[in-house]
Amino acid sequence: MNFSEFQNQARLYVIGALEPEELEKFEKAREKFGKKGEDFITKCYALHEAFALSLRPAKASTAIKDRLMAMVKAKKEP
Amino acid sequence: MRLAKSGTRLHTITPQLEPGAPSDLDLMQGIQAGDPDALSQLYDRYNGILKALILRVIHNEAEADDLLQEIFMEIWNQAKNFSAQKGKPLGWMVTLARRRAIDGLRKKQAYQRAEERFQNETEQQPDAWVHNSTDEEIVLSDTRALIQKVIRGLPLAQQQAIDLAFFRGMSQREIAAKTNTPLGTVKTRLELGLKKIYDGLKELKDEL
Repeated sequence: MNFSEFQNQARLYVIGALEPEELEKFEKAREKFGKKGEDFITKCYALHEAFALSLRPAKASTAIKDRLMAMVKAKKEP
Repeated sequence: MRLAKSGTRLHTITPQLEPGAPSDLDLMQGIQAGDPDALSQLYDRYNGILKALILRVIHNEAEADDLLQEIFMEIWNQAKNFSAQKGKPLGWMVTLARRRAIDGLRKKQAYQRAEERFQNETEQQPDAWVHNSTDEEIVLSDTRALIQKVIRGLPLAQQQAIDLAFFRGMSQREIAAKTNTPLGTVKTRLELGLKKIYDGLKELKDEL
């Protein structure tokens, strides 16, 4: 697998769309390309941000934050 | 919100913050140090985006709220595993939220019901990536509009393949079966579509 093919596979990898047989080959290529490959995979995760930011924000129930913060504070207390 | 300029991470997208406001990384470090106020601020900043993502996957308002709470609790509990070397806080949170939402969809066996709703929506709005937005609404958000422009520039078949993979967690084989398309074609659609979005985000960033 050359680096261009690795890049194509990396974009599929970050969204979990590699088939099992592709994943095996991808992991071998990942070892081969080392830091250069890891850096590219990290950049690909920006696709996740982009897809999330492509959606119109939805309003959460106000009770959710209250419950969340109460749980966090309860967990912090000895 | 704007596409941020950064030296090495060409595709980084971050919300524009008020002057003096803590960065996402500051807040993550606060959470790692056990500061509930940091979590509170991060929640205020991103609950809408994460809720939209969850809702896009599970299509149920009450379940989305419950899952949102669980996800922020997981952010609190798992913050120690976040590393700035491996990406930005928003990317980490979105990855976590997407995984939990897709897991939740499957565990609650709501898949079939959501599928039917999704099918109905697709039939009603076959070209809509965002099921509940209009062109006028999109203009209200710079970042969303710019990303939408990139996504909507793709052929519909590529949009659909990416939508099913990202928001439904479907494998290539599942997409092929659902869309009655050869597996090789699905793979090509995903590869081409994702590359165009990736390159498009880079170009948008360079323009701003």
